[in-house]
Amino acid sequence: MKPIKDFVGQFRTSIDLDESLIVKKQNRYFLLNEDLKRHVQRDFFYAGVYLGKVKGTIFFPSFTLLAMIAERKANKVIVDKKTAWLFICGRDIFKRGILNVTGSKRKGDYTLIQNEYNECLGFGKILRNMREEKDKNKVFVKNILDIGDFLRREKSASFKHKI
Amino acid sequence: MSGKEFFVGRYEELGWIYNEFESKPSIRINTMNVKKADIVKRLESLGIVLEKIPFLENGYWIRKSEFSVGATAEYLLGLYSIQEAAAQIPATLFTGLENKTVLDACASPGGKTVQLADLMQNTGVIIALDVKRRRLGALSNQLERCRVKNTIVYQMDARESSRLNTKFDRILLDVPCSGNYVADKGWFSRRTLKDVKKNAELQRQILAEAVQVVKDNGEIVYATCSLEPEENELNIDWAIKTLNLEIEKIKCHGEKALTNVFGRELDSSIENCRRIWPRQTQGFFVCKLRKQACE
Repeated sequence: MKPIKDFVGQFRTSIDLDESLIVKKQNRYFLLNEDLKRHVQRDFFYAGVYLGKVKGTIFFPSFTLLAMIAERKANKVIVDKKTAWLFICGRDIFKRGILNVTGSKRKGDYTLIQNEYNECLGFGKILRNMREEKDKNKVFVKNILDIGDFLRREKSASFKHKI
Repeated sequence: MSGKEFFVGRYEELGWIYNEFESKPSIRINTMNVKKADIVKRLESLGIVLEKIPFLENGYWIRKSEFSVGATAEYLLGLYSIQEAAAQIPATLFTGLENKTVLDACASPGGKTVQLADLMQNTGVIIALDVKRRRLGALSNQLERCRVKNTIVYQMDARESSRLNTKFDRILLDVPCSGNYVADKGWFSRRTLKDVKKNAELQRQILAEAVQVVKDNGEIVYATCSLEPEENELNIDWAIKTLNLEIEKIKCHGEKALTNVFGRELDSSIENCRRIWPRQTQGFFVCKLRKQACE
């Protein structure tokens, strides 16, 4: 539970998760509800809401967890259409593509990246103090994780689709 | 007994003339995540031309797109899934899915599992099984991408579902099958009648196990994307005569299933199953079974 709380805290927010409904399977965390808790058995592979996994000392969040954080008041950068697309392709964010910022604008902080529809596309790390930097052609947020990851996973897994 | 000539001859004997057919790409809107009108508008603004599939509530054919519909932000956000039109039918045949306990016995890669979750609006519980571990990754990715919250996944052979010690209200049997030539370009050169019969036997074993774990009066939807009667009408004829199941009438796309297969007369209720020959969609077979209550 601590890795999740610590991760969420980096966005200057917190989320209430019922610890009795969180299960850890090897290094992966899942959030259940009461119905699922009644049914789940020890040897499950995936259950309820996947929250993320720990590798070494680093917590890797799921996109569902990021979306849960995005529902709260937290560090967020809203970007325009073109920037959103580039971010999904793994690119960093330049100041010129930013439409709005809520929460921290401070170098070193983590922030969620959202599109014009307020949908969470991933998260990144603020590289420059946004208030001070005037150059619109400099990278402001470094991409750490974006939803294009689903495609990258598919590619690397090279599984066959059943239609 | 294999080859194009052999199988095409069988189809003709069953009353269907073979045609070359290319399945149209199609999507299904995940209404648990987005309003249908909103996502249609968004996709159209990207230049994607959609055509509503007349026999599906949330299905659309992709008439034109300059890029893959599997690489849009909307797809990656789980607002829609890519799912062949006929494959969208089975999950819609269940009644009253919300808050039910549902088994998806052969679940990977998860298109129908997500559809079930959508129809259940993320209520109740879905237990999703697949026997191969490498396929569970694909299934889990689908669940995460589409924000499914009500599913537990196990690596388990559907023929061992009793190990779950759960009785299910609804069971989806999208059973492993021989497939068909529309979905698999090399189908005729690879498949033999021996394969078909082997799959049919496996499907019977899965059906028999499903009957053990479904509640009395519970519903089982059985589906294959095979055109071969051994995996379809003949299996269902065996099931209703052996497993205390009856066939429910369904209203969906497709033709009445065959009640005479290669001269063999089957139970007349088989006509309530649906056989879909490749025309608007790939080939498919679907039926809804109900377990009769014990006296």
